[in-house]
Amino acid sequence: MTATFSRRKAFRAMIGLGGTLSTAILPAPAQAAEEHPAHPIAPPDAIAMLFDSTICTGCKACMPACNEANGLRPDTSLSGGIWDMPTGLNAQTKNIIELYQGPRADEFAFVKRQCMHCLDPACVTGCPFGSLQKKDWGAVTWNSSLCIGCRYCEVACPFEVPQFQWENWNPKIVKCEFCYDQRLKENLQPACTAACPTGAVIFGKRVDLLAQARDRISTAPDKYFEKRVYGEYEAGGTQVLYLSGVSFEKLGLPTLGSTSIGHYATKVTSVIYKWLSGPLLMAGVLGVAIRRNWNRHESERLQREKETGFPDQL
Amino acid sequence: MNLLEATADKRGTTLINHWQCGVPVTRGPVLTPLLLSLIGLAALGLALAAVRFFSPLGPFSGMNDVYAWGIWKTFNVMTLTALGSGPLALGLAAWVFNRQRLHVVMRTALVSGFLFYATGLLALGFDVGRPWNFYSAVLPWRWNTESAMLEISICMPLYCAVFLSFEILPLFLERLYYTGNDRARAFLRHVSPSIRKVYPFAIVGAYVIPLMHQSSLGGLMLLAGTKIHPLWQSPVLPLLYLIAAGLCGFAFTIFLLLIVCLRYSRTLDAGVLAELANLLSGVCFVFLAVRLGDLIWRKELHTAFAFDRMSLLFLAETGLILLPGLALRNRRMRQTPRALLNLAAMAVLGGMFYRFIPTSIAYAPPHSTSYFPSVPELIMGGGYIALGIVAFVLAINYFAVLPGEASTWNHTFRPFGWPRKAAASSTPFEPAAAPAFERGI
Repeated sequence: MTATFSRRKAFRAMIGLGGTLSTAILPAPAQAAEEHPAHPIAPPDAIAMLFDSTICTGCKACMPACNEANGLRPDTSLSGGIWDMPTGLNAQTKNIIELYQGPRADEFAFVKRQCMHCLDPACVTGCPFGSLQKKDWGAVTWNSSLCIGCRYCEVACPFEVPQFQWENWNPKIVKCEFCYDQRLKENLQPACTAACPTGAVIFGKRVDLLAQARDRISTAPDKYFEKRVYGEYEAGGTQVLYLSGVSFEKLGLPTLGSTSIGHYATKVTSVIYKWLSGPLLMAGVLGVAIRRNWNRHESERLQREKETGFPDQL
Repeated sequence: MNLLEATADKRGTTLINHWQCGVPVTRGPVLTPLLLSLIGLAALGLALAAVRFFSPLGPFSGMNDVYAWGIWKTFNVMTLTALGSGPLALGLAAWVFNRQRLHVVMRTALVSGFLFYATGLLALGFDVGRPWNFYSAVLPWRWNTESAMLEISICMPLYCAVFLSFEILPLFLERLYYTGNDRARAFLRHVSPSIRKVYPFAIVGAYVIPLMHQSSLGGLMLLAGTKIHPLWQSPVLPLLYLIAAGLCGFAFTIFLLLIVCLRYSRTLDAGVLAELANLLSGVCFVFLAVRLGDLIWRKELHTAFAFDRMSLLFLAETGLILLPGLALRNRRMRQTPRALLNLAAMAVLGGMFYRFIPTSIAYAPPHSTSYFPSVPELIMGGGYIALGIVAFVLAINYFAVLPGEASTWNHTFRPFGWPRKAAASSTPFEPAAAPAFERGI
């Protein structure tokens, strides 16, 4: 019996024992909780905005409401100081109604631009110290005490939403935060949806709004472009949804794939950098090779020193 | 003794497996008119940077919310640190792949690399809008570990301030050793064994960390997604950025050595340069193979031959890398200084093209506006580069950076006036005993 119990067998037994123990003690490998799935699923409490371009009359009531709720000064630089007249999202505009004017006089549409509150936001993935964060109900917010002003969010955002205060010594990133601190926390809906007189932009749970959007499409299928909701799948899905009579491209909404950008950017690196295993493995491999060549070098150096009597340079 | 002889590497039988080949420039005035004008530019750039620190970014740059990254990031950091990857490329070749001859030119690569990183980080420091929040870098619970930006903002300063500084430390210690008093020398004799102990471990970090952040620089552009032209936007961007860093590292070291040795009329070992050129051509081919494979895999090869603006840029970039790669396969080319200089310059340019284009020229968001750096932005960007050049010229004049001339590659030569009594006890310097080197330039 003892003769047959070789070292190899003992080794195998140890591996078996270790494996059993480790499966019992260590937590099961996280299979379900992928950090950036290609197609993220919205949590059940995710809120959303639904903007219907066919209803919006371009009254811009949402813009001063947004400015008031967020304490932003109206952008009067173009109007000579009498009117809020921004030319796009900028350092004092988090929400804007833009006009699309087609070649024919009667072909026009309005679009409301603000942060899309993506399900897997590229800006949050890129933000180095977690200044931009996805908070409760899915609102993407900015924290001034963590931001270093690298502007990576502006590079990352496919909708070009975050704006940097170029003219401020203490610059902030200006973007719609779903009125998270101002209103959501007090159980109020965002200022823009509360102000909209026509119901062109409405607030609600994402699932409910998606169902409502599909309802509108099914009751009047010819009214809506491509009979689909923009934001349902774009860039992995957003929490601002659009219905439009003209193409989304014309409204200035970019054509994006359905894969989350965070997934595209981190699918390889998240494996390599998992517990720093890649860098540590690389350090081990390089360390062995360097150590070998270093010892060779040292022995040669000492031999030369013995021969010539001169110390090597450091 | 016999054992040592038996195990001695035959490639290291010449003196060049040793570090004692660095010699400072000893001839000619340091403050030439060219250097003075560079000092002027650097001073102007730094003065503007100082003013910028107390002023918003707007008046100092042409950046806007569409092109939120200007030349300070895209050129001074993302492009020029590729040229500063000489320590990484040469270090890996010398220490990991045991190309011992390259130790001679390592100091040149180290000093230039350090200066590229230091000036790049300086540019970055004046580019970020809220630098006072950067202390988060030492608070790990604030780290967003999936961000490539985090990796860069921590690893780049760490690499420059700790690992590269450690690697160039011998320059300063050596100067102190030869110019200082007896107490300083005793102290250095006391600490140098511990430096030797730490050294092999430290250089492991000095290679792993740039491997990480040079690839992360490419990883940065992944999040920009469809904003970047499909010829450049690709999942292998991080790998290609890393290979381009190696390419630029080798090419720029050759270029710099040739330029500096021409300027100070020093001889250079053509064998070392030929070995560098050989490695450079290998890296060129690896780069092109990955680039081509990626384009075929993503089925974007037709875009490369559409002969529109982006396609022509791509072809220029590829040509600038392919031509040196092919030409340097030829041994005659590798040993002709003029050809080597031109080909290395082309490879540097090609690598810089690859690093710069996806960040700026091929970066076209849908709501595109235009961006061209403003005058203060250009002066500051140029000022940082001028600062690097000035520092390099001073370094080669006052420290043993450049490889010594063949005749001085002897232990009896002491760069800073070695005390006479030590030299007197040895056998006198015999030129005939020095190994025969090919004369470079």
